Amino acid sequence: MSIRTRRDFLASAGRGFGAVAASTLLAAGTNPLAPRKPHEPARAKAVIYLYMHGGVSHVDTWDPKPELARLSGQTLPASFVKGLKTSRIDFTKALARGSAWGFRKHGQSGLEISDLFPEIAGHADELALVRSCHGDAFDHAPAMYLHSSGSQFPGRPALGAWAVYGLGTENQNLPAFVVMTDGAMKCGPQGYGAGFLPAVYQGTMFRGGKNPVLDLSNPEGVSNQTQRATLDLVADLDRRHLAARPFDSDLEARLESYELAFRMQAEAPEAVDISRESEATRRLYGIGDGPSDDFGRKCLLARRLVERGVRFVQLYSGTHLGDDWDGAHNDLTGSHNKMAAKTDKPIAGLLADLRARGLLDSTLVIWGSEFGRTPLAEGKNGRDHHPYAFSMWFTGAGVKGGRVLGSTDEFGLRPVENPLVAHDVNATILRMMGLDHLKLTYFFQGRDMRLTDVHGEGEFTRFLLGG
Amino acid sequence: MRPIWLLLPVAMCARAGAADALEILRTQCGQCHSAATAMSGLDLSTREAALKGGSRGAALVVGRADQSKLIEAVERKGKLAMPPAKALTGEEISVLRRWIDSGAEWTVGKHEAPKPTWWAFQKVVRPEVPAAAGSWARNDVDAFIARQLAAERLTPAATAAPEKLARRAYMDLWGLPPTAAQVREFVEDSSPGAWAALIDKLLASPHYGEKWGRHWLDLVRYSDTAGFELDSYIHDAWRYRDWVIQAFNDDKPYDRFIHEQVAADELFPEDPVARTGTGLYCVGPNRDLFPDQADINREEILTDYVDTTSSVFLGLTAGCARCHDHKFDPISQEDYYRVRAVFAPAVKVKVALSRLESLGFDVGESVREWKLREIGEQIRGAQSRCSDQLRSSQLKEMPAEAREAVQRSDADRTPRQRELASYYEKRLRIGEEDIRACMTPPEAAQLREMEKALVRMYSGYRSKPFSCGLADLWNVSPRTFLPARGSRAEREVQPGFFSVLGGGEVPPAAEKRDTTGPIPLMPTTGRRTALAQWIGDAANPLTARVMVNRIWQYHFGRGLIATASDFGTRSGKPSHPELLDWLASEFVSKGWSVKQMHRLLMTSAVYRQDATPSKAAAERDPLNILLSHFSRRRLGAEEIRDSVLSVTGGLNLKRGGRPVVPTLSAEEKATLTQRPDDAWVVTRDASEHNRRSLYLIQKRTFRMPMMEVFDAPEPMLTCPRRDSSTTAPQSLSLLNGNFTVERSKALAAKLAAESDDAFIGGAWRSVLAREPDAQEIARARQFLAAQSRNAGGREQAAGELIRALLNLNEFLYVD
Repeated sequence: MSIRTRRDFLASAGRGFGAVAASTLLAAGTNPLAPRKPHEPARAKAVIYLYMHGGVSHVDTWDPKPELARLSGQTLPASFVKGLKTSRIDFTKALARGSAWGFRKHGQSGLEISDLFPEIAGHADELALVRSCHGDAFDHAPAMYLHSSGSQFPGRPALGAWAVYGLGTENQNLPAFVVMTDGAMKCGPQGYGAGFLPAVYQGTMFRGGKNPVLDLSNPEGVSNQTQRATLDLVADLDRRHLAARPFDSDLEARLESYELAFRMQAEAPEAVDISRESEATRRLYGIGDGPSDDFGRKCLLARRLVERGVRFVQLYSGTHLGDDWDGAHNDLTGSHNKMAAKTDKPIAGLLADLRARGLLDSTLVIWGSEFGRTPLAEGKNGRDHHPYAFSMWFTGAGVKGGRVLGSTDEFGLRPVENPLVAHDVNATILRMMGLDHLKLTYFFQGRDMRLTDVHGEGEFTRFLLGG
Repeated sequence: MRPIWLLLPVAMCARAGAADALEILRTQCGQCHSAATAMSGLDLSTREAALKGGSRGAALVVGRADQSKLIEAVERKGKLAMPPAKALTGEEISVLRRWIDSGAEWTVGKHEAPKPTWWAFQKVVRPEVPAAAGSWARNDVDAFIARQLAAERLTPAATAAPEKLARRAYMDLWGLPPTAAQVREFVEDSSPGAWAALIDKLLASPHYGEKWGRHWLDLVRYSDTAGFELDSYIHDAWRYRDWVIQAFNDDKPYDRFIHEQVAADELFPEDPVARTGTGLYCVGPNRDLFPDQADINREEILTDYVDTTSSVFLGLTAGCARCHDHKFDPISQEDYYRVRAVFAPAVKVKVALSRLESLGFDVGESVREWKLREIGEQIRGAQSRCSDQLRSSQLKEMPAEAREAVQRSDADRTPRQRELASYYEKRLRIGEEDIRACMTPPEAAQLREMEKALVRMYSGYRSKPFSCGLADLWNVSPRTFLPARGSRAEREVQPGFFSVLGGGEVPPAAEKRDTTGPIPLMPTTGRRTALAQWIGDAANPLTARVMVNRIWQYHFGRGLIATASDFGTRSGKPSHPELLDWLASEFVSKGWSVKQMHRLLMTSAVYRQDATPSKAAAERDPLNILLSHFSRRRLGAEEIRDSVLSVTGGLNLKRGGRPVVPTLSAEEKATLTQRPDDAWVVTRDASEHNRRSLYLIQKRTFRMPMMEVFDAPEPMLTCPRRDSSTTAPQSLSLLNGNFTVERSKALAAKLAAESDDAFIGGAWRSVLAREPDAQEIARARQFLAAQSRNAGGREQAAGELIRALLNLNEFLYVD
């Protein structure tokens, strides 16, 4: 660790806030967020994970089940539902229900997608669909923890935290792992937490408005000039303090963390200022268009962040304090129509925009949900939680689209081909980012911990890339 | 046992050979060929299994090493070359050969491990204190440190200036910075006993327990809520928190501290204060309020009990052995379930803190609930005329089709009506205020009476006179089974302890109580008593070592073993093995007194060193493992917040009691999992908001942003050592957060002095506990002048000066 001289400090400080380059905080070894080489060449520099919170019905969206429609209103044979247990319904008594939406083939690939997502369906040839995901946690929070951290129990690091731990980030002026939500979620902050990794890796919640990060703006009534003068006093006094305490890179790093904070104050509001986008772009995302306005803004923001070097964006649709995919308990059609109307156009717009700007080649976009919903009816117009089979899709970062991996039985109850669990998905996402899930470890409680624990054999990167 | 050993020297030889051979099998082959893993079908954990062999046939031919597959494999002569990664040494192979040739005895006792080879599992033997060389050493601790420094040709740093020592002592023992007067008092005391007297004074204060109790709360994953989706309140958690603080303040002997937490219900059944110690097992994550997950919850709670007990008290990470034999440490899955069986009969119970008061409370509660229902009904009745009226007028404004849909019962609705109803029902809003406005004066008067009755019921409502603790269901226990795995069938295990630490079982006698006589008041199995006594025994190789290492770590920033909760084989050797053992032995011989350990460590020369390393030390020992100087440290989250409050004159030093919920901004509350109304019920008395940070509510799903950003621990996990990161969000928080801004203004207003110099002097004394020097005064004058222009006045400029001082490294670090 080189010790910079007092003159260096003064020189860089004199050039103002943009100028502290090659500084202690940015140097690998001290800065936990310094960009690091991946284990192997990365296909995805960044990830945008579109997470549909509440549980999206797979048999009404990505996994057509004509046989289910045929048996609508009947119970399913006992052998099929044996061992299945979920939150409210009894699998042996509940009645099968066909989908309320029609399915159509889309694109040259003829990928079958339901009428819920007409806009995303326009990108069918770009999507690599996985129909055989499954898990065993049938409540929201455990299922969300399982997908994000590999354990049903909160307290382990989330996928995004692992990715940033492995790769650092390209833009030190913005958080490396950004989370956006519609409001409170059932998993709470532990769904994107750092667990036993250092806290610096946890997801940063972007709030709405022009100051997305907590405490980003100057205190009320404090101008930039005043703020600068106060920071200068801190820096001057800290430098005198440091001069009497040689060999301490921590003290130096903290001095610079104030400069970095000041730069963040300037850069983050610019990054979230979507008024700088053209009207056409805004329209592409469905901004200003009723239901899709809010999620459209978030998707556009996701693009702006990825463009600026943010490593991992986790974007949640739905909250348990209001509009929610989980409204499907009582009102499948209502909840899914409403939530699809909020997200379909924004997501399609995001894919089109990323492609148009050449960002799609290096950005992995993932669509998922904590579980699917029961092919059996809950009440008159509902479906219950179904962790035993559900769908996801992937695009961007070299993913070959218009293809399907895995399948479920004729009712969509369980996978029959290529059953995949959260660990397989996470191993694949890490690999797309150039990280080997077997090598990405952190020593905690006597073990080299991994995101995939001792699993991940079902990694399907080769499928995504066309194999 | 001993006489038999002496009488049978031949047998002893055979056994010793067997122990070595079995140790080789376990450490070199066990990872792939245990009962659990059994690769190629081969299990080398028992004689029967080894003789049966795997898919390649028997591993051993008794008496014929040269015909045994095992030898062929380890000698790498045939197709097989085992272990695959690294060949055994010639010596190891000859041990195995001799052992097979002499009959392959599997004579190690049932739960008696082969002699432990890992240092931490061997008994503590008190080493000789090295002879002191030179005049640096002040006590025995220094003799060990000096010897290693000399060996590495490093020289210890000079003694730190008294101002620094004072701050160090206050921060380490209280977690609060000294005032300028307190610093001066120490600096001016030139008596030889001044330092020891300061330590005694700090240890005698209740603030000591508040600081050291927090360390313990980190370890035991303390939280006021249960976690998961609902994150419900653990109502009496804070009683355990206060118990921990008090235990440190009372210098409760550490063995007794263990006994009370593990088994006070059995050992001290009549002492409700001691029983609150078993709250250790209540404050963990749980889903007690999810009846449909009772089975999962019970499994996870028992797992948490074993993991917490072994990592906190023993520094063993047993968790791996829940599913298979531990891969690195000699903890078998069976061992794990034996410890788990200790907790099998235990359940959480309400501990009545005072019998009469608790009785009164319970009776009052039952009456209150009865009355509450009645009043609730009455209120609904009183409001019904108005709410009906408001509803029908709102219905009138709806489209006819919607009105009809809403008024029908759900069963009679058509699908179209159902959709309409779900939409329009949400739009029917009958507000409290509207109802009041609609009421006639008599109706309103009637409602006011009911509200008064409601208030009367709750006036004087206080915390429940209970704590949460553990007790056995009965004097017999549910049985515990080692789960089936691979070819191994499920089998019952008996309660017992880790074999590698000497093993032992819960004496079955403890369970065979006389069941013919009257039923005892609190029948119990005695299992946890046996566990508590086994952990708290001076002969346990880990208990004292682990605790003295923790104390060392909290004083010096790094333990003699860096992984404070992992003394297993992956933890490495201690930096000062003899010192560690000497301290462990000293700890026990001084009656397990934690305060004595503070005195011992803090009066050493090594603790009193300056924090500046020599050039040689900075280059050759950058982590300061050899302790050639003091390790500067950043304050922890609580220390930062408490310091800000303390120096700005706002700290409320009230002790103990229910957790405090301070005001947070809407943005800060954005990540709460539940409605803020329910999840963040702000404490009414605002003076409470400025209590010490350990009294703030600790929610399991939500950390207060300022605490979180400064590395407060994740409350799902035990935290043996906090991170100390340096990030921009920390700077944003301390620079721009409401908390700093308000506190800066408060101190600026308090210091409102006429002259700049008086103000500057006051600011430095308050925040940094010292006088500013001439250069600082000049810089601060210039700052006040400039900021008075920038910020619109002297008052603002004064606030800005304080805000700057609160962000200084001098304020955030301890030298």
